[in-house]
Amino acid sequence: MTLFHYIHKDTVLHRMDGRLKLASLLLFSLAAGFASDLPDYLAPLSVLICSVLLAKLPFTVLLKEMRFFGVIILIVIVVNAFTFPGDPILKSPFASISRQGVIAGLRFAGRLSIVLLVSTVITGTTPLTRFRDAIEWYLRPVPFVPEARVATMINLTFLLIPVLLDSFKEIRNAQNSRCGQLRKNPVKRMKYLVFPLLGQTLRRADEIVNAMEARCYSEVRTKATFKCKKTDWFLLAISFAVFLFVLL
Amino acid sequence: MPVLEIQDLTHVFPDGAVAIAEINLKVNAGEFLVIAGPNGSGKTVLALHLNGLLRPTRGKVLLDGEPIDKNIIAARKKVGLVFQDPDNQIVGQTVAEDVAFGPENLNFPPAQVGMIVKESLAAVDLSQFATRSPHALSGGEKRKLAIAGILAMKPKIIVFDEPFTGLDYPGVVQVLKEILRLHKTGHTILLITHELEKVLAHADRLVIMHKGRLVADGKPESVIYRAESYGVRMPLKDGEKVSALTWLK
Ligand SMILES: Nc1ncnc2c1ncn2[C@@H]1O[C@H](COP(=O)(O)OP(=O)(O)O)[C@@H](O)[C@H]1O
Ligand SMILES: [Mg+2]
Repeated sequence: MTLFHYIHKDTVLHRMDGRLKLASLLLFSLAAGFASDLPDYLAPLSVLICSVLLAKLPFTVLLKEMRFFGVIILIVIVVNAFTFPGDPILKSPFASISRQGVIAGLRFAGRLSIVLLVSTVITGTTPLTRFRDAIEWYLRPVPFVPEARVATMINLTFLLIPVLLDSFKEIRNAQNSRCGQLRKNPVKRMKYLVFPLLGQTLRRADEIVNAMEARCYSEVRTKATFKCKKTDWFLLAISFAVFLFVLL
Repeated sequence: MPVLEIQDLTHVFPDGAVAIAEINLKVNAGEFLVIAGPNGSGKTVLALHLNGLLRPTRGKVLLDGEPIDKNIIAARKKVGLVFQDPDNQIVGQTVAEDVAFGPENLNFPPAQVGMIVKESLAAVDLSQFATRSPHALSGGEKRKLAIAGILAMKPKIIVFDEPFTGLDYPGVVQVLKEILRLHKTGHTILLITHELEKVLAHADRLVIMHKGRLVADGKPESVIYRAESYGVRMPLKDGEKVSALTWLK
């Protein structure tokens, strides 16, 4: 699986300042929301395809892994086409396809493609830590939000997910080797999975807290440093231009 | 004056469990102490008192003659704790970031943090993994990363809680070598284990815990014969010397 995973390369996009990247992500998402006619969709999409190439991400592999989303898009288009009331393109006594339905479906497809591509580019070129640091930076001026704590929480969450998944698999395997899968009652089955996992998680959390305390955990800590280059601003300007183009 | 002194230390958990009782222990600078005992004998609870992660019900812990609750941050810098399960200890997304965690907590300037990270990773020979994800490391390497994270705090005393658990033979050798190197560079070492056969040859002193009490304390060659009666496997066969108890060749 490479989709939505960081792929280490040395390109302008990989080196781009995380804060500006986050801003670009926002601009593209807004553009996806505001887009209305065909050029509105084509402009962000073509810029994004260029960025995939610029970032040297494995285009064909990513496309293959996006098949799943392709199926969703197709289903949405079909469902919309048949259920949306409007001028029929194709008439039959059982079902009819409406023009408005097809357009609504295509719109959704366009939006989803933009969001999908921008997420691919951003996650493919940004290590999680850079994201976290950027979020922390944006939170600095916000009153009553302890940005260091939020950053630590983001960090721990992403750290724990793979560990918990592993534990979950192990618990399930252990139970299935005692034929746990034969239990019919799904509530009981969940109970036997969830409680051990929960217990383990709480104990683990306890130990992590201890280990962090042992290394003097403090929220008054060394802050991440950022390097903002001219090319980064240029890339942000492109994102902004795309946004304006769609908006106007 | 001993670097570490434990006086009448007792810890009773809220549920009434007496985890450790009336522990007295003096550790001199540069000593290599092995603490052995069966499961549940209170070894981990004792370790958690050494840098104030648990507070005593009775008794106290002195570092360089000072009670640790006077300055808990200083105590945590002085006493590094390497936990049993490195997965619970590693908090960074990358190897370098994990080592940086401690110095960043101390709010050191970024350049200094970078320096310390470099030094600490070089010390445990993990420099080439700096940008890797910790989960990609082997068991032995993960333990070494946990050690590097502690070294970044520049401790004088390092406490290892069951450092060999779950490691294969090369992993044990890797970690054992690291511990011996730390001892050689002047660190005071407290090593908790029940696997005496892997390490006792290198220790200056052996302490045995049993049901929360410290029941034996002395030179390994004299204490070892009492181990079995306290639930620790006697690793010596007839005619063998303590110096045979190591996994290093
Ligand atoms: N949080 C806790 N609450 C209650 N009892 C505990 C707690 N932690 C440990 N204990 C008890 O304290 C005793 C010593 O535990 P521990 O120090 O973990 O033993 P070990 O020597 O195996 O490291 C055990 O009997 C254990 O059940
Ligand atoms: Mg223990």
